Amino acid sequence: MTMKSERLQVNKLELQGIRLACWCLILALFTVPSFARQQNAVRGQVTATDGSALAGVSVQVRGSGAGTVTDGEGNYTLQAGADAVLVFSYVGYSTQEIRVGTQATINVQLQTDLAALDEVVVVGYGTQRRTDLTGSVASISPTEFEEQPVSRVDQVLQGRATGVQVSNASGAPGSDARIRIRGANSVLGDNNPLYVVDGFVGVDFNTINPNDIESIQILKDAASTAIYGSRGANGVVIVTTKKGTRSGFNVTYSAQGSRSYLINRWDVLNAGEFADIANTRSDDMGISRIFTDQEVADFKQRGGTDWQDLVFRPAWGQQHQLTVSGGGEKTTYMVSGNYLNNDGIINNSGFKRYMFRSNINSNLTDDISIRVNATGSRTENSNTNLMSGTGNPVVQALSWAPTTSAYDADGGFTAADPVGSVMVSPVALMYDRANLNQGNFVNLIGGLNYHLPVEGLTLDLQYGVNYLNRQSQSYNGPVVSRNNPSASRSSAEDWTLQGTASLSYNRVFNEAHRVDAVAVFETQQFVTNNFSSTGNGLKFPSLEYYNLQLANSFAVGTGFSKWTLLSYLGRVNYAFRDKYLLSVAVRHDGSSKFGEGNKYSTFPTVGIGYNLAEETFIRDLNVFHSLKLRGSWGKTGSQAINPYATLSSYNTNAPVAFDNSGIASGIMLGNPGNPNLRWETTEQVDIGLEMSFFQGRLALEADYFNKNTTDLLLNQSLPAYVGGGSLTKNIGEVHNKGFEVALRGIILDSDDWNWTSNFNVSRVTNEVVSLGGIAPRIGQGTGVGAGMSTTNEFMLIPGYSLGSYWGLKYLGTWKPGQEADAAVFNAKPGDSRYEDINDDGEITTDDFQVIGRGIPATTAGWNNTVSYKSFTLNVFFQGVFGIDKLNYTRAAAMSGSGDARQYILSEIKDRYIPGVNETSDIPAFSATNVVYTQSSRFIEDGSYIRLKNLSLSYKLPTLNKLGISVFVSGTNLFTITDYKGIDPESSNIGSGTDTAQGIDYGAYPNSRTYTAGVNLSF
Amino acid sequence: MKGIKIMKRNLIWALGAAVIMVAGCKNYLDEDIRGGLLGAQALESQEGLEAALTGAYKGWANTWGYGFIHATGIAATMGGDDVTTHKASNKADFREFDQFAVPATNQRTQALYNGCYKAIQGANNIIANYQNTQGDAATIDAIVGEAYFIRAVSYYWLVRLYKDIPLIQQAEFSEDLLAIGKSGPEEVYNLIVGDLQKAEELVPNTKRDPGRPNKGTVKAYLADVYLTMAGWPLKQTDKYALAAAKAREVIENKDLYGFRLLDTYTELFENDPEKNGTAESVFQISTFMGVGSTNNANYGFSAMPGEEGGWDDFFAELNFFRDFPEGPRKDATFRTTFVKGDGSTISWEDSQTQHPYYYKYYQKDEVKNWASQIPESMMRYAHVLTIYAEAQARATGTPDDLAYECINAIRQRAELDLFENMSGPEFADAVVQERAWEFAAERTRWFDLVRLELVAEANSNKDANDLQPIGTLTEENYVFPLPFSETSANPNL
Repeated sequence: MTMKSERLQVNKLELQGIRLACWCLILALFTVPSFARQQNAVRGQVTATDGSALAGVSVQVRGSGAGTVTDGEGNYTLQAGADAVLVFSYVGYSTQEIRVGTQATINVQLQTDLAALDEVVVVGYGTQRRTDLTGSVASISPTEFEEQPVSRVDQVLQGRATGVQVSNASGAPGSDARIRIRGANSVLGDNNPLYVVDGFVGVDFNTINPNDIESIQILKDAASTAIYGSRGANGVVIVTTKKGTRSGFNVTYSAQGSRSYLINRWDVLNAGEFADIANTRSDDMGISRIFTDQEVADFKQRGGTDWQDLVFRPAWGQQHQLTVSGGGEKTTYMVSGNYLNNDGIINNSGFKRYMFRSNINSNLTDDISIRVNATGSRTENSNTNLMSGTGNPVVQALSWAPTTSAYDADGGFTAADPVGSVMVSPVALMYDRANLNQGNFVNLIGGLNYHLPVEGLTLDLQYGVNYLNRQSQSYNGPVVSRNNPSASRSSAEDWTLQGTASLSYNRVFNEAHRVDAVAVFETQQFVTNNFSSTGNGLKFPSLEYYNLQLANSFAVGTGFSKWTLLSYLGRVNYAFRDKYLLSVAVRHDGSSKFGEGNKYSTFPTVGIGYNLAEETFIRDLNVFHSLKLRGSWGKTGSQAINPYATLSSYNTNAPVAFDNSGIASGIMLGNPGNPNLRWETTEQVDIGLEMSFFQGRLALEADYFNKNTTDLLLNQSLPAYVGGGSLTKNIGEVHNKGFEVALRGIILDSDDWNWTSNFNVSRVTNEVVSLGGIAPRIGQGTGVGAGMSTTNEFMLIPGYSLGSYWGLKYLGTWKPGQEADAAVFNAKPGDSRYEDINDDGEITTDDFQVIGRGIPATTAGWNNTVSYKSFTLNVFFQGVFGIDKLNYTRAAAMSGSGDARQYILSEIKDRYIPGVNETSDIPAFSATNVVYTQSSRFIEDGSYIRLKNLSLSYKLPTLNKLGISVFVSGTNLFTITDYKGIDPESSNIGSGTDTAQGIDYGAYPNSRTYTAGVNLSF
Repeated sequence: MKGIKIMKRNLIWALGAAVIMVAGCKNYLDEDIRGGLLGAQALESQEGLEAALTGAYKGWANTWGYGFIHATGIAATMGGDDVTTHKASNKADFREFDQFAVPATNQRTQALYNGCYKAIQGANNIIANYQNTQGDAATIDAIVGEAYFIRAVSYYWLVRLYKDIPLIQQAEFSEDLLAIGKSGPEEVYNLIVGDLQKAEELVPNTKRDPGRPNKGTVKAYLADVYLTMAGWPLKQTDKYALAAAKAREVIENKDLYGFRLLDTYTELFENDPEKNGTAESVFQISTFMGVGSTNNANYGFSAMPGEEGGWDDFFAELNFFRDFPEGPRKDATFRTTFVKGDGSTISWEDSQTQHPYYYKYYQKDEVKNWASQIPESMMRYAHVLTIYAEAQARATGTPDDLAYECINAIRQRAELDLFENMSGPEFADAVVQERAWEFAAERTRWFDLVRLELVAEANSNKDANDLQPIGTLTEENYVFPLPFSETSANPNL
């Protein structure tokens, strides 16, 4: 008791100390006397050619070392003499130099220049000149995706930045995407990058409207990400949104309409073929025929059901964006609204989105500005989350027999397929079921920026609120539920509060020493609160989820979780004569998730750079426009631990019936807690080379990185005799290394013609180094393949990559002449043959081995923009290489067992037929044949090259200040792949996990989309 | 100007204060556990102890996951001559049992194994903590008694299926448990008997709910355990007398415990979901269709043929069906014609699998649904009668009047000739055969074959159109390998 109160006392004292220090700091800032001003104040605004304000533009007084950066509305103020020359430099724009003379206001319009070198990039808690970077940061400017049908951030990132892998695992509109920066570190944790929008840390990327984006930076190495400490290990995407311009009033409106089509179709048997083959199979298996000869003849004549036609459809989509921006002397604003409505190519699925943003910036005085960024959105997903496995309409479209009709005599959904699938009809799965999700999202950021009366010192205070309210409704109708209709409603809210106080210092001393430093204190709090209710046995199924009270029985659940993060961080960047660069940063994170003594962790980094082009001996070569070598080392963490993971808790969902009138709620012992848990730590080394030639028209950036994640959290699987479940421990190690190359060229640049081409390629090699000795290997199940898999489809094994497939090696069919060998396995020619690795004459799980890898090795993108006068053509290819997929969709339709019962794909016509076709590796119909779907027979190469975008836009001559441009585009126009499924990109595994990925079991395919659009501006 | 300055200062103060205040909150990094249920204090109230008991039963009754309310129990006992499965289709896990080639990765053995140990963990938690529970003493006694019953019956299933098993009596996890070895059947049976004896004292005479045991239930299980201990592998033949005595206690107090033999076999397998089982039920696991129907519902389609929309999980072996004595019991046991989706009818001989099915598992009115809320019968009063008959005859060498009375009650209901004037061994063997008919597909036959070492004999006479055993049947085939998940987690097993 005394111990406890003492500790409390200490905490209190500590906190009081912190509080006091902070107050002192703020007070001190007010009382520091102003420096004598011998120079004149110069101020102005920096804008782009379209009039929009440019924030973060570096404004330097040449030769004096003084300088500043433009604020949110592109405004700057600095002291300069009449002889001074101001140098304006910014991301993707040509540098401009202007002599001050007698001007007190200098407004500058910067010209776009893809080859610009003196650009400034937004980094964590500040900005930095690109030439001064010691870390690896990829940038994407809006010009790279303008006038393309882009509605989400993942579409912006895909193929356009090195080191970033994006796969649209689900092709449904408004669904999740898998985004990885430099591979995957964590087994238990989420490997998605951290998104920072206007300084708010940890935003859902789905809530960002690409039309509002001013710039995107992707922080990849530790020098850039360690500033985000325990959340930096997966890389960081920093998004800055657009601001208004100080003068004028701009309105832009754009509208797009699209039509989407299924990329590819499965080749299935028609009803006549199916009936014939099913009968042949019955004969071969020694069981009674299914169809009479008359029935077969009828099916041949009349045809049957084309289930794919009933599941897929062409779909419409539209998007509208209205942006109003402008401002006066003191205040600028940017207000935008976006509406998107896309139907999905699977019937009864679709996505709607409404978004709003308002960014307001105001200068209260010369040195104080405030900002308020408010954004809100509502998303409505309808049936875009297909259930995996046998509840999936795509899977059932390939399981239901073409001889079964979709509707019964009364016009209702056919309840059961007597021949093919044992599960519910695909049509009922689409129409007799609902799975609706709405997200209501608000993010409010208020900030104050104060240029302190000490040259180069700025105080910035920001407070942000992120609120996400999630609603969902689901319904299983009488057919889907087989006469036990049920519905549920759930509601959840996630609150995040973030306070950030930062003090930055930016100065050049003696023309040679450029210093920029920042110190930050930050707090974050995350609260989740949820509620759900389910009604079973709906008395009036047509009321769906609107009258749960009219059900026979109910289930409810509520939950709460909260965690907090308290951080101190600091960084110093130093450049000597723009030649030698040093960056040192550290973040100290405290988290409520850990027990006493383990709460705080420290994440340091060091980066160095050497601008060789500044050396005379390099300049004399007259080859390089720029040349830089850089290297960094640092540590970051990843948030792979849920709150309360250090405690043992009960599983509170254990209902049991003691009679037929209802249930009693019970509790079961859950997983044991581990009080010693710590963060996973990723240590990363990066070496980079940047060079450009021909006045910057050709630029190359190459990086090599090596990441080692230690204290990797793994779940040690506990045997059932101790109650099952698992124990989480910091025991593993995972290693990622690879390289990235980006090549940018301006191939043509004349008055009429311009052709820029960007190519990038990234390669990551992932390896599980250690499992901490808890097991020689750890299985990773997916739940996707219920009824298909023998054991876990994936295995973590030291020496192998994450996402390694586990199964039998398929050696084709036993062939004539191999009767004796086949007999050992109770097989005969025509039966499946698997590798018996332990030579025991039996095929068991002991013969399972690694049969493929679900993580892509190489990704590449090639983006070309060719313009001729007012026409612009964009051709964008994207490719993924070195990835295997487990094609369960095909396996289910080709194994004639499990829940599908019969063969559906035309492929079966090429099967092994004794005496007829004895070379085929598709097994014969045979009672002794054993099909393991979890085998290399259904592992397929998922590599592909895809024409992601082809668009042509035309800018009409401006009429009375009205600018009009129109465009047409095609997305996913063609794909080169060996994959036998509909779409090599789609998969059933959610975006969070990397240990198991690449299974396609009726995954929602991406579509081929044609879009036409118009942009108006005045 | 002054105004702006004041405003500016206020603004900075306000924002600065906001940022600092958040951190200034006392114990900002403390974990907020208001939503979690943690530790042994959860069991300090009677309600908490009752909830933990409910959770312990969950191990036996998780529709898709584990326990008894699906065809897993049938699969594990498919080595009996009463049931078989589909020759092709997706029934490999069932076939492996029917053909005596069960690998460690068989999913069905896993489902029973996991469920029993989950129930044991829950029971252990109650047994370890009930002393600190505040509440009504009689209720707490009943809860603790049921916990002992759950642990005993779970271990009884495990020891019969696997023989040598890990024996766990603590609820709290500790790393040492990951290296323990197996315990032999003698040690396990001793725990089972001890637990049932404790339960016998604590459990009340009347079932608290239809899905719970009463004192009679516990005694009946104890009788069944003794009967098994008298056979393979322990062969403690002195236990026949104990089995007969315990069964006799139940029979003599059947009114007290509310047990009776129903008048007709048809009534017994009426399978009306509106009824809470029958008076013949000594123990049942109740089921319920509502509340996430995947949670507490019993399986519906397992016993139905594909022609009737069923799953073909299990059906009758051909010679077993042919030898089955004619009468109302046979009629109520088997389904021999199937009504197809189009309304036409075919006989079992013309069906796809060419086997008769178990009508006793059809829902009332032949409702076709994957799920049902028919209670899963675990032991009927008829069992108790046969236990007494067999054990008494084997213990003394001569069946007494009560033994004849017991078996003839069952035969009379089946409209068969009554037994009379038989020798002890002859009588006992006839009772065992009678159990095969009476409890066809009720997971009884297999255990009879094992304890009496009749497995090879019973499987020697299979119809050519039934699945045949792979290899020679020996003692090795009496039990199954521990699931792969266990031996891989603990190499000492």
